[in-house]
Amino acid sequence: MTETVIVVALLLVAVAATAAVAVRDPVRQSLVLAVLGVVLAVLFTVLQAPDVGLSQLAVGSALTPLLLLLTVRKAKRRGRRAERGRSAGGDGP
Amino acid sequence: MNGWILAAVLVLVTGVGATLWGVAGGPLRRRATAQNLCTALACPVLLLLAQGYGRPAYVDLALVLAVLGPVGTLVFARLLADELADDPPHARGPTWTAAALGAAVVGAVAVATGPGRALVKLLVIGVLLVGGNLIASRALAGGMQEGRGD
Amino acid sequence: MKGRRTLLALAEVAAWWVPLAALWLVLISTVDPLELAVGAGASALTAFVARGARRAVSGR
Repeated sequence: MTETVIVVALLLVAVAATAAVAVRDPVRQSLVLAVLGVVLAVLFTVLQAPDVGLSQLAVGSALTPLLLLLTVRKAKRRGRRAERGRSAGGDGP
Repeated sequence: MNGWILAAVLVLVTGVGATLWGVAGGPLRRRATAQNLCTALACPVLLLLAQGYGRPAYVDLALVLAVLGPVGTLVFARLLADELADDPPHARGPTWTAAALGAAVVGAVAVATGPGRALVKLLVIGVLLVGGNLIASRALAGGMQEGRGD
Repeated sequence: MKGRRTLLALAEVAAWWVPLAALWLVLISTVDPLELAVGAGASALTAFVARGARRAVSGR
């Protein structure tokens, strides 16, 4: 029974990691990464390493998505500003 | 090994597996809902595993997830508010199903624990789990837009 | 007047301290004097932070 749990958790981690690689859009990828973090924490618990699971939960479920989304937002904003600056320069004298 | 771990495997395969399938494809609203449900379902799994392995210390993992899961969902609800505003995700059925499952698991583990400080801790986790996820899914559905100054 | 305000502030910090200390008492694994002392100190610190947060949220 213990082996069954480990196999199930490993399979879930494999599927989640594959999905995280397959998704191209960073925003959607951050959602998949959050799920991957939670599933990894379950895997660590099943492997009797709850301390690793605790830090994985702290980092994976809230911090990684937050950093990714903030980066995407900043990059988008900068891109928009550069676009506006370029068009304003083209319209000017 | 015992019924607790069997129940954990069942919830892991059906619940977390389904949310994994939901987060891997489809529109953004479906993915955000699936991410919220994933934390709501993984927390009961951790509680069941702690009971199944007979190690009360493992309950701390469920406590951390019950606190941080809704925080993560609120991060998404806040930073994806513009994308989600067009068609907000209303997932009443799955949300209440996950909340009922969490309450049932907390109740079962509480009965097995018996009275004491551990029981109070378990009930704190249960309140955080159910309340946090209901608040998070409400925020995801756009129910808390009034105070947003962006 | 000023004495009354200080008294009110102290009462609020104490009102925050009681549930926070109770939460600490519930979440620790073994109850011993050192653990209780650390919990009392941490709860006192957090009670002041909670009062500050409450004042910031209510806008005063």
